[in-house]
Amino acid sequence: MFRYFVRRLLQGVLTFFGATFIVYALMFANQSDPLQALAGERPLPENVRQALTERYHLDDPFILQYGYYMKGLLTGDFGTSLTNRPILEMMEQAWPTTIRLSFIAIIIAVLIAVTAGIVSAIRRGGVFDNTTLVITLLLLSMPIVVLAPLAQLIFGMRLQWVPATAGADSGLFALVLPAFVLSSLVIATQLRVTRASVAENLRSDYVRTARAKGLADRRVIGVHVLRNSLIPVVTLIGTDLGNLMAGAIVTEGVFNIPGVGFMLVRGIRTEDGPLVVGFVSILVIVFLVVNLVVDLLYAVLDPRIRYE
Amino acid sequence: MRGQFPLKMAVGATAIMLLAAGCGGGGDETEAADAVISIGIGEPQHLIPSNATESNGAEVLAALFSPLVDFDADNKPYLVAAESVESTDNKVWTIKLKDGYTFHNGEKVGADNYINAWNHAAYGPNGNGGSYFLERVEGYKDLQSKDPDGEEGPKKAPDPVAKTLTGLKKVDELTFTVTLSEPFSGWRSVMGYTTFYPLPAAAWQSEGVLKEDFEQAPIGNGPFKMKGKWEHDAKVEVEAYDAFPGDKPKVGGVNYRIFQEQTAQYAELMGGGLDVVTQIPIENLASAPTDLGDRFKTSPNSVFQFVGFPTFQKEFEKVEVRKAISMAINREEITTSIFRGSQTPATSFVSPAVAGYRENSCGEACTYDPAKAKAAYEAAGGPKQIKITYNADGGHKAWVDATCNQLKANLGVDCVGTGEPKFADLLTKVENKEPVGLIRLGWIMDYPLMENYLGPLYGTGGSSNYYGYSNPEFDNLVKQGSAAPTQEEAIKLWQQAEDILARDMPVIPLRLGQNVFGHSERVKNVEVDKFQKVEILKIEATS
Amino acid sequence: MSNIESVTQAEVPTAIGVPVSPESGHEKPRSLTGDAWEDLRRNWIFWTAAVLVVLVVVMSAFPSLFTSADPGSCALARQHKGPSGAALFGYDFQGCDVYARTVYGARNSVLISLIATTIAGLIGVIVGMAAGYFGGWVDALLARGIDIVLGIPTLLAAIVLARRLSSDPNESGFWAVALTLGVITWTTGARIMRSSVISAKNQDYVAAARMLGAGPGRLMIRHILPNAAAPFVVVLTILLGVNIATEATLTFLGVGLKGDAISWGIAISESAPYVTETARPLVWPSVFLALTVLAFIMLGDAIRDAFDPRLR
Repeated sequence: MFRYFVRRLLQGVLTFFGATFIVYALMFANQSDPLQALAGERPLPENVRQALTERYHLDDPFILQYGYYMKGLLTGDFGTSLTNRPILEMMEQAWPTTIRLSFIAIIIAVLIAVTAGIVSAIRRGGVFDNTTLVITLLLLSMPIVVLAPLAQLIFGMRLQWVPATAGADSGLFALVLPAFVLSSLVIATQLRVTRASVAENLRSDYVRTARAKGLADRRVIGVHVLRNSLIPVVTLIGTDLGNLMAGAIVTEGVFNIPGVGFMLVRGIRTEDGPLVVGFVSILVIVFLVVNLVVDLLYAVLDPRIRYE
Repeated sequence: MRGQFPLKMAVGATAIMLLAAGCGGGGDETEAADAVISIGIGEPQHLIPSNATESNGAEVLAALFSPLVDFDADNKPYLVAAESVESTDNKVWTIKLKDGYTFHNGEKVGADNYINAWNHAAYGPNGNGGSYFLERVEGYKDLQSKDPDGEEGPKKAPDPVAKTLTGLKKVDELTFTVTLSEPFSGWRSVMGYTTFYPLPAAAWQSEGVLKEDFEQAPIGNGPFKMKGKWEHDAKVEVEAYDAFPGDKPKVGGVNYRIFQEQTAQYAELMGGGLDVVTQIPIENLASAPTDLGDRFKTSPNSVFQFVGFPTFQKEFEKVEVRKAISMAINREEITTSIFRGSQTPATSFVSPAVAGYRENSCGEACTYDPAKAKAAYEAAGGPKQIKITYNADGGHKAWVDATCNQLKANLGVDCVGTGEPKFADLLTKVENKEPVGLIRLGWIMDYPLMENYLGPLYGTGGSSNYYGYSNPEFDNLVKQGSAAPTQEEAIKLWQQAEDILARDMPVIPLRLGQNVFGHSERVKNVEVDKFQKVEILKIEATS
Repeated sequence: MSNIESVTQAEVPTAIGVPVSPESGHEKPRSLTGDAWEDLRRNWIFWTAAVLVVLVVVMSAFPSLFTSADPGSCALARQHKGPSGAALFGYDFQGCDVYARTVYGARNSVLISLIATTIAGLIGVIVGMAAGYFGGWVDALLARGIDIVLGIPTLLAAIVLARRLSSDPNESGFWAVALTLGVITWTTGARIMRSSVISAKNQDYVAAARMLGAGPGRLMIRHILPNAAAPFVVVLTILLGVNIATEATLTFLGVGLKGDAISWGIAISESAPYVTETARPLVWPSVFLALTVLAFIMLGDAIRDAFDPRLR
């Protein structure tokens, strides 16, 4: 177990470098003119262009820029964004916000998806199954760019049940609606996967055996089936994080939550290389950790799997 | 499955409302004059006067600083922090400051504060976005340096030969002179811009170097002072500065709340958490008048929207073709149906925000007449295909598509709107002379003079003349106007220059911007000026 | 160096009397496909879904069969007008015929999504199976590869890729969008495949097949894949819907379909802001989209059930 853990950590370091390199390269390829992007449609005076180009090493070749960046990163210096703000400071503000939001979203998603998925699987083809199918499909066919403003309009502006926007240091209550919207991104997939894998397991031999043994239905499903069905669902939570981040880009904008998605949008919009790479670096670390946890969870859920 | 949640939310919301009510009831009775109001803005890029070239930064700085001059309803400058601004030859300007102005840290405002701030602004290596405002001041060139091997090259540019502008001279504690390299009758107006605010001695790390964190809590000479620091992506709070000698503000403080999206601002206004939204997004315009009632307002601003014909696109070479396209566009329909009245049709080459503006200076060419347009277009042999290129990140797709649909119907041509991801991409394509067709452009003025539209947009080599229009006769008239001894004479010459544009039709004027703003019931006397800033001294809280 | 391994010795070699592979468990000498077809023929869900899918495909190929209106003829004067004989679903914000645009939008939406999902599915199967089956360093390498792709913000990758792929202004951007979507969306499928394969390869019947001498290729394709496919197919059918929506987002950002392209995603995003004025231009493309995705999901479910030997 310990050896496995160490090995994964070492792999993680490599992944980290691989990902930051690719992202840096992507940003570099995407960069047409970051200074003009910053100035928007205003003409950019020559002297300003010259001064900023030098300040941010924009005239150096790619490898050199990457080198400068990694050198800073390894000494804990994330550099400054093109608007001259220390990126570390921006992260301290953005990460806790987004983690809170994603966490609530995942909890909402799993609660709804797993419950509804199990019920649908048990009564396959029933009214509940078909209703949830249609509802999830409707959610699915609504891009989040549509869903988020719609939810805000109904619950925040018209009914005023929840605050219309959340802002920087908002309470949990203000995050409920954005989290709900965000969770809609992953509920559909989680629900369908739970349903499929529960249905699969319901037909397996061990369930027949358990039933033949005279175990109550509740125990068969609650203990045996659920545990075996959760493996793909747990995997999904790992990948869902990616979906949530993509969704956060829209949701955080609509609900004005200055989190990671919010910063990434700005970074991509203004071609702010250091900003994007800094945030993505941490994002990769989060992925690695979550996926390590997910892999370890396999072992808990499936005793036949062992790590060494 | 979702059915149960609204109930819980409702219960939660009620609890919160009760809590809020409880707090309000138990607190002190606040006077309207002490009330703190909230205004929605986007995250400013900078809060250094010479580097705040976008409207969010300018909005906050307008509360913290008091300008030398401001503009009245007729766009004429009047004195604020200046006692007098005089010149006999439009080249040497003598500025006398009013006595009694102090910075928020107690320092007296003097001539040095202006001179140092302006030198810093103009010094090239500082990279200040507003530095070009000082271009006209003598010695500006010596503060810039050229990179010897071009931008892409590895070598660094040498330091400029001078650090201070030779055109700025202190006369006494409250008087200084500005010498321009060429006479310019409009200089008084130019000094109304953000770049020209003074900076206190406390702002400097060493001579010519600003303190790193100055912009986190700028110290100004204006009616409001910072309360705490700039909380990035959250808010900037300011409170009334008691020792301010000018017109006192009518509120105790302003909380500038920062939003990334305009739609979020409007949602917050509707949700009751925000007092003023300076620009209501188009999506909300259909419902806003009913949502807000008489708290929904409009006022003109200086935005000028148009499409340009790149000179390298030979199919648009003929003036008749350009005029025919212009005549085939129903501006009125687009401003009402697409923009819901948040913009108005443009029929001139400058905005009404400047003195000297004449309605319909474009004449027949900007009047919708599909039949005439089609006849003229066919007679001139216009191209069968028209393309309009725009930047997709600016919300331009709707009106470009609508314009294309009008051209399709009225000229019988094929028209396509093509979105480039960013404005910079659009510029790159134009620079590479790719067939972009008509290009979408817009302009916001820096100072309210006709020259500020004519020079940058249509002058040979103008900073925003991306389409490459060039007419020596026009350039000459603009230049003569700038050097004219009085504003009246200047305007006359500039208007002659504008007439040339109506003849040459290098661009199609489309729309004029409007501030479409709204506010909560907690505030009144809300006005938004031509620079899209809330009139901070006029706004009041309802008691 | 194996990453994930089964060491439950007791379970592996004792496979006596386990129904080894689907074919041999049956008396009639019918193939798996034959069996499945017999099963599907009597399944009404299959038929409903199949008819819907065929309808949508025909609509994509020959939109003019369904409407005589020109989707490109729009006039602001008709903005948000209600349904009439000429325009079944009324007019949208630009004054275009909603029905005509929905019909013509099918091609871009469905084809792009189908191509993208196929690409994502292929990459997902190959990567996921290889990682799950071989384990060890192959798994470590591929799993980290997936992590890297997952760690990169979709939006950024999509913008950069789409921009690189569609530098030619005269192309519609169709293939650029399809490829971009395929290349960035395969990870979910791959991870699901990997974990399903890991749990499937530990099953007794696989061990039995291996003992009977089946090679890795046959094991993977004949034995593991059919049993690990269930959650994977589910993810893919959902991806179909997601890709239609993502295409809209890309187009909205200016890196997707070019010019006056029509698609459901574009229609949905563009009508959404005005939903309070009139819901029709938003609702109809959404309904078509939901029905299409529903059809594909039902089809996937039915086919999967039919091919699942344990159901019989």
